[in-house]
Amino acid sequence: MSDKIGVRSLPAGIAGVSVGQIERRVGADEAPALAPNARLRCIGQPTARINGHAKVTGQATYTVDVKLPGMLHARILRSPYPHARILALDTGPAECAPGVRAVHVIEHPIGRAIEIDAAPQSGPAGRELRYVGDPIAAIAAITPAAAQAALERIRIEYQPLPFVIDIEAARKADAPRVFDHTVRTEVFGGPATQLPQHGNVHGPDASASRGDAAAGLAGAEVIVEGEFRTQVQTHCCLEPHALVADWRDEGLTVYISTQFTAGIRAELAAALGLPLARVRVVVDAMGGGFGSKSRIGNDVLAAVALSRAALAPVRLVLARDEEQIDSGNRPATVQHIRAGARRDGTLTAVAIEAYGTAGVALGAGVGNFAQSIYDCRDFSLEQSDVFINAGPGCAMRAPGNVPGAFAYEQIIDELAERLALDPLALRERIDSSPVRREERRIGAERFGWSRRQPPGSAPGVHKRGLGMAQSHWPALVHTNCACEVRILRDGSVEVRSSVQDIGTGIGTVLAQVVAEELGLTPGEIVVRIGDTNFPAGPPSYGSRTTASLTPPARNAAYQALRKLLAAIAPTLDTTPEKLTMRNGRINTADGRHSIDFREAARRLSTEQIGAVASRSDDYGGFGRRTGDFAFARNALGGVQFAEVTVDTETGRVRLERVLAVHDCGRPINPRQIESQVHGGILQGISYALFEERILDAHTGHMLNANLEQYRILRSREAPAIEVHVLENYQGNSATDAYGIAEPAIIATAPAIANAVYNAIGVRMRTLPMTPAAVLSALGRLPQRS
Amino acid sequence: MHAFEWMSPQGIESAARAATTTVAAAMVSERGEPDDEAALLKAGGIDLLDLMKEGLLRPRRLINLRDIAGLERIEEVDGGLRIGPNVTLSQLAAHEQVRMRFRALAEAAGTSASPQIRHLATLGGNLLQRPRCWYLRSRAHHCTRKGGDTCFAFDGENQYHAIFDHKGCAIVHPSTCATALVAFDARLEITGPAGTRRGVSVEDFFLLPEADVHRENTLAAGEIVTAIWLPAPPETARSLHVKHCQTESFDWPLADAAVMLEVADGICRKAAIVLGAAAPAPHRARAAEAALTGQRLGEALIRTAARAALQGAAPLSKNGYKLVIFETLVRRALLAAAAS
Amino acid sequence: MVMRGNTSPHARSRTPCVTGEAVGPGAVPITLEVNGILRALPVCPGATLAEVLRDQLQLTGTKIACDRGACSACTVRLNGTPVCSCMVLAIEVNGAKIDTIEGVAGETLHPVQAAFLEHDAIQCGFCTPGLIMSCVALLESTPHPSEEEVKAALGGHLCRCGTYPHVIAAVLHAAQTSKRRP
Repeated sequence: MSDKIGVRSLPAGIAGVSVGQIERRVGADEAPALAPNARLRCIGQPTARINGHAKVTGQATYTVDVKLPGMLHARILRSPYPHARILALDTGPAECAPGVRAVHVIEHPIGRAIEIDAAPQSGPAGRELRYVGDPIAAIAAITPAAAQAALERIRIEYQPLPFVIDIEAARKADAPRVFDHTVRTEVFGGPATQLPQHGNVHGPDASASRGDAAAGLAGAEVIVEGEFRTQVQTHCCLEPHALVADWRDEGLTVYISTQFTAGIRAELAAALGLPLARVRVVVDAMGGGFGSKSRIGNDVLAAVALSRAALAPVRLVLARDEEQIDSGNRPATVQHIRAGARRDGTLTAVAIEAYGTAGVALGAGVGNFAQSIYDCRDFSLEQSDVFINAGPGCAMRAPGNVPGAFAYEQIIDELAERLALDPLALRERIDSSPVRREERRIGAERFGWSRRQPPGSAPGVHKRGLGMAQSHWPALVHTNCACEVRILRDGSVEVRSSVQDIGTGIGTVLAQVVAEELGLTPGEIVVRIGDTNFPAGPPSYGSRTTASLTPPARNAAYQALRKLLAAIAPTLDTTPEKLTMRNGRINTADGRHSIDFREAARRLSTEQIGAVASRSDDYGGFGRRTGDFAFARNALGGVQFAEVTVDTETGRVRLERVLAVHDCGRPINPRQIESQVHGGILQGISYALFEERILDAHTGHMLNANLEQYRILRSREAPAIEVHVLENYQGNSATDAYGIAEPAIIATAPAIANAVYNAIGVRMRTLPMTPAAVLSALGRLPQRS
Repeated sequence: MHAFEWMSPQGIESAARAATTTVAAAMVSERGEPDDEAALLKAGGIDLLDLMKEGLLRPRRLINLRDIAGLERIEEVDGGLRIGPNVTLSQLAAHEQVRMRFRALAEAAGTSASPQIRHLATLGGNLLQRPRCWYLRSRAHHCTRKGGDTCFAFDGENQYHAIFDHKGCAIVHPSTCATALVAFDARLEITGPAGTRRGVSVEDFFLLPEADVHRENTLAAGEIVTAIWLPAPPETARSLHVKHCQTESFDWPLADAAVMLEVADGICRKAAIVLGAAAPAPHRARAAEAALTGQRLGEALIRTAARAALQGAAPLSKNGYKLVIFETLVRRALLAAAAS
Repeated sequence: MVMRGNTSPHARSRTPCVTGEAVGPGAVPITLEVNGILRALPVCPGATLAEVLRDQLQLTGTKIACDRGACSACTVRLNGTPVCSCMVLAIEVNGAKIDTIEGVAGETLHPVQAAFLEHDAIQCGFCTPGLIMSCVALLESTPHPSEEEVKAALGGHLCRCGTYPHVIAAVLHAAQTSKRRP
């Protein structure tokens, strides 16, 4: 072990292809170079989830299971109108309803676009409600039924206003305005330049453009063009949004189903003017988020306000219809793409005009997919948000890139056909990623890509087709992120972080990493997470959790071990630098002493020692840093292949098989990674074929705000899935690990669309690919008189 | 759910007397407020609880039918079957006689909803469940069927609505078991509050909107379906039920069809072809039946019959695709039945 | 697929006051045999079995996700048969035998639970208790199901994380291993 800052040699390359060494300048506190997985005991091994036992026995405590003494139950009153003004509001009758303990009126709702110049409004009267489900007030009572009954006693007078729910109608100059004033521009991962707003159209944002796309297209030898439409998808977490807010004189504790305990604490502290140290956020088991549980919402603020007013814990759990209408969604998009190329396959120019709608929120862009994945000199992307009177969108698994890839990977498929190139061969020309090159090679071979026939050439009624598409997602690192490792005197070990396990298994990953470093087994590590009383961990979004937290976890273990060695060296008549740890045993350099970890811990003079490590920068530096997170220099990729059967007489698309090849740096728990890739693919299939929010033009209500008519893939729609994950070493951090959740969904819908095209020879440019849509594309619908 | 009273009589007549109205009538109002004085009958309760949880029904009292002995039996009578209304869809699908001789019914029952629901849902309740029309099931839409003056489907989201007989209201009847029962010429025994019994064919039991837009069937307040009769089918009868859903796991059908053929020496002696999810009531495709009857079964004839099954169809703005699916479904069902 | 025999899960249940007198809307005493233990408790007629298990018996392993019988997260066994407990009124199953996720494991995990762990048939885990209840019931009625039978038995379950491939593998594995058991 060395304390010197200096150059360290780390594994680099793809296992099975070639792994060499890369030299990096590394800080003093960093754990030493980690060997490739083949030489490790815990990291890289399929490891059972540490909270699996609790989950299969029903013992795991989710937020909906939290019960506190004296706990009240809250319900929210929501707008029945898609657009209305509150003329008068009287909560008096509700306040004296049986069992009611507190009433809270929501005057300044969050989670939507913010108007810059709107006149300040005080009191509920005058507030504009902008979608069906827009929250108005909340009531806490001794039972949920009492709260619900009291809601009906709030007297409210509405002035209904003209509304618009259709994206095309909303773009028109004379469309009813969702916002009267220009809203503040927000841009992911960077300072925003205020964009123009005309009517309901905010934008365009052309900041991703480069070169001269118009000139490039003018000079192109081949041009392909298409318009693509994607629908609104809702998150449908099985556990609804839920919290128990417990306001006390000494501080606020919030038990909440969240993807980011530390972020919720910071948001609550800021919103309430409390010191961070007076706010505690806790989540044990967490029933899915997919982006929708990243931030505080009106429900959270309302429950806290009710708890403060009632001086009692308040539980608020959204009903399923509330989940569907007001807990976020993946925005709809319309994308017009023109791509130009030379006959040799060089992609020369791309022009994309995109507009999308996140209802009353911003963020309906198409991500960084098209601008990043392929080499293209002249590129323009103009994207605008269109406001409609519908619930706010929010991040959903690979936001932007999912609809973006659906369109762009079809255009590339189309270009390949026009150039008479195999889709894989075209990508060899335009995709400079060596990782995806290897992924294509592996995938094509295992999938049997050579079986692919020309588009539409399949005989018979049930036509089979093969398609592929690629994934691209930035590798993100949350730099405001720390982890603590404690060694206790009996040899037990704790790893502590506020990070939450939303189902991806980060706790298990931490146990593996720490066990590897300390020569223990993962089962010997006590994992304490999901509580802001521990060092602030990263969010569980952006596929950044593992990348952010495993390096500080390993470094903290390494540093704690060094402290242990320092503490016990005198008991072995030696100095710390003469002690080495190997296979769980601590040995003196002269070979005279060898004790195991437990014995070493027993020699501590204090009950425990520990170390807290923060996320250091990637060894090669970051590409770009913004706020609390940074873009790594590498990106995450993947290639997916799909085989479909299309029943041309019913329009049904059936997935027969999906094969996915992905990379996430150093894989830590292959079994959990496979689970996450399955999840991405299955959500992608569901998005491609089934899911769609349906709004009623008469009333602005969501007609399928349930889990029955909002269709989601289930067991019988799940195809055979094969997952291959590369070990891609880059020498970037103490673990070299990155994420997988989002790359796993990006390629799925376009791979299916390309396979459907291969089967029937007709492009499906609109999602979802329902029987009606497929029959229509096949020209089989009866002509209406 | 709101608070309500509970009653669990042991006799049919006492149950019938306790009911003040029907589910359908309790949902009809001038201004969209359900009847909060209603005492309603409950069998499996799947649809009833759904409607209550949605706030579309607010009965003062539920009258449980599941403690009445004898309503959960399947008996062989005169070569046919007498099925109690409390028989669950699971029991029906698993019953040997039903599977052997009334295959279409076993298939319809055995593929409804999910196993967990089929274990609870009864055949009686399945026939009496209200349509899945999302306007009917929305408190925000005071539609014709609930006493309002608008059918929102006509210029709204009608992709899952009727292609036949949608005068004034475009619901489709949701029961796939009903589709199968009509194909078997099944009859219902209905008992009234005074113990009086009436018989009605399943086909006549269901009403089109032009007859009464507020209800799907002729059941009156205080009446209970006390038996479903399946007459003995001829030895040569073969039947099946097919459906097309967007998802196979758990979904309401976009289209379903029951076919029953009596075939002797390759000649179709009798054909019953019934379409579900097509009309406000199970829709008997008489032109298709006529096309087959007395004819030698062959692929060309079956194609003609499948086309004829759509005779009179009038698709709405978003459900023209159903015609293609129905034609395919009927053709495939007939081919399979003819080959079996 | 044929799920179970010819008895209704209600066969052993009798609701209170079968004499025909109305009870409620306040609480009415009933008894349930939950995971082998007889429990007497008062329930309101409007309380579903899922609510009573979670709120009155503190058996929170049973999850409510849609409350309409559309996701099967709340699956428990009613007299042996898997049902959606959100669509059953507690009052109507008075006297019934109810098995919940909390009662599946004995001293060791049930083979289905062990297989779920081994195959990582879990992500967020919210749908997992319901899935396990269905899978345990499936293997009792169909000890050696085909993959298609497993998929059909699980059709009512919604898992948003997408654990289906691992769940199916786990059930098939559990079926195989139980073959070797005496």
